[in-house]
Amino acid sequence: MSTTGSRAAALVPAFTAPDVRVTRSRRSTVWVAAVAVVLVAVLAYLPYLVYSGTTSLLVNVFILMIMASMWNLLAGYAGLVSVGQQGFVGIGAYAVVVFAQHGVDVFVALPLAMLVSGIVGIPVWWLLRRLRTAYFAIASWVVASVLAAIVTSISSLGSGTGISLLPYLNFSATLLGAITYWAALTVLVAALAAGYLLLRGRGGLVLTAVRDDEIAARSAGGRVGRVQRLVFVVAAIGCGGAGALLAISQIFVQGSNVFNVSWSAEMIFATIIGGIGSIEGPIIGAIIYYVIYETLGNYGTWYFIVLGVIAMAVAIWARRGLWGLVADRFNIRIFPVGYYLWPRADMVPAASVPPGPVPGTPVPPPAAPAASPSPAGEELGADGG
Amino acid sequence: MTALLELDRITKRFGSVVVADGLSLAVGAGDIVGIVGPNGAGKTSLFGLIGGDLAPNSGEVRLEGRPVTRLDASARCRLGIGRTYQVPRPFVDMTVFENVLMAAQQGGGQRRRLSYARAAAVLERTGLGNDANVPAGRLGLLSRKRLEMARALATAPRLLLLDEVAGGLTDPEVAELVTIVTSVRDEGVAVLWIEHVLRALTASVPRLICLAGGSFIGDGAPAEVLAEPAVREVFLGTEVTTSLAGLAGEAAREDA
Repeated sequence: MSTTGSRAAALVPAFTAPDVRVTRSRRSTVWVAAVAVVLVAVLAYLPYLVYSGTTSLLVNVFILMIMASMWNLLAGYAGLVSVGQQGFVGIGAYAVVVFAQHGVDVFVALPLAMLVSGIVGIPVWWLLRRLRTAYFAIASWVVASVLAAIVTSISSLGSGTGISLLPYLNFSATLLGAITYWAALTVLVAALAAGYLLLRGRGGLVLTAVRDDEIAARSAGGRVGRVQRLVFVVAAIGCGGAGALLAISQIFVQGSNVFNVSWSAEMIFATIIGGIGSIEGPIIGAIIYYVIYETLGNYGTWYFIVLGVIAMAVAIWARRGLWGLVADRFNIRIFPVGYYLWPRADMVPAASVPPGPVPGTPVPPPAAPAASPSPAGEELGADGG
Repeated sequence: MTALLELDRITKRFGSVVVADGLSLAVGAGDIVGIVGPNGAGKTSLFGLIGGDLAPNSGEVRLEGRPVTRLDASARCRLGIGRTYQVPRPFVDMTVFENVLMAAQQGGGQRRRLSYARAAAVLERTGLGNDANVPAGRLGLLSRKRLEMARALATAPRLLLLDEVAGGLTDPEVAELVTIVTSVRDEGVAVLWIEHVLRALTASVPRLICLAGGSFIGDGAPAEVLAEPAVREVFLGTEVTTSLAGLAGEAAREDA
């Protein structure tokens, strides 16, 4: 175990620190990581097993998962309720076209398009940064509309009628479908990993705090503006990636499609029903959305009625979405982003406590901070798990 | 020697309502100053102006001689101003430990194990040790008030702004909080303390300020301030008057 107590006491004389052990979740999550790796491996192997109809459906599911995860970071954590993410979807899609026109392979253009979308996100954030809630929502929509108006006025990009990527694709249909699927899977894994690392890092606590109370987060010293900007740019990159994937999978880019506000509606729906404010929620929500779409999509009006009823039911009875219900009932978290402070009694058998400060007793400040002894293994002690 | 906190003719208006009318104030390191005043006197706004939630229309706020008027609440917190809110604002879906850890890492500027140790120590000190892994949203009022204090302390403040931490609590609960506050002061942290529960305040502060209509109308030893005609007039007609008189008498007897 650690003797952080003596060090902390040396630096902060006003406090006598108890011996502490903190892990990122109460239970080990190694098996979860193993399952995730297996799942991604199976998904990666899928094009060899199933018809292209299935993989192209999954591409759409992945795209929605990417979008919803990004919207969840924005609205579920950073407190930024955007209905303008279609602006970045459109930028990503058209960026692929521009790169393709300049002789860049579309799958090389994909990450470049994400980069472009992220760069566009910086000035957009500068415009929106002082706004919150409904004002932020409306302003983000306006910005998206302006981006759409600018892009669809460029004649080399087909103006409003759209433009085909077909001349730039030198793949057989089967191969194109498989590579598109792998690209979508890659972007999805990257998007989820980015979200996870954001929340697990030091900024994660700030983001989670902002989710609950932005003013209190500032008063506790949180660099709120900094994490919000980071999240906004990450969401721009992610939504740009989703747009680029749309362009490649549909082989045709039209402004009224890629810049459509319905993308924001879909990502909001998937996030809300799945569970806003958790990494797992948007994934679940996107799956549910496509299950409903596949079973009821042909019934027209009924499809929308079912979507509406589900959205209302979740809003009334399950404010934290379906994942929220599951997580609370069974007390599970797939992504360990929290901090668990171990009660002292549960920490270690008494015999293995190193000589030094006894837990619970005040630690006398050492003569000099440098003199405080650090037994080997301390580095692992407090953060293990 | 420069005071820890200086307010220099701070004025703040909301439309035609003046919540701070050219307020000037100096608080030294380790001072503990009580602030009283009727509802709407501008007490919480004063904390907003010091803590950075509110920007003044004119005037300057200085921390150790350095102007902080243009800094936001986050930056001021990192410079050493910790505050609590009258109506507690816990991060409800985070655990108690995470609430305090966030403050220790951001406001207190500590990383990793040092921040863990500090957060755990603050929880012990504020009596929240057993609730460390409980979501803050499940806490009752007393624990929420403690959490407000714990979060402010975790930022390692040099100036602590307490906004009615004793409001709504029973006498023994108030006594516990007072013990914590005085021990914090004993470590050299300056405390500005707004309280409606005058008993908690007058017993533990050597200096009391009365705020009314955005102006300071009394500043000095509690007994003297509460005996001043202007202060009594402000409270006149409220139920506080009688208890004020009683407290002034008590304080006078203690002084004698």
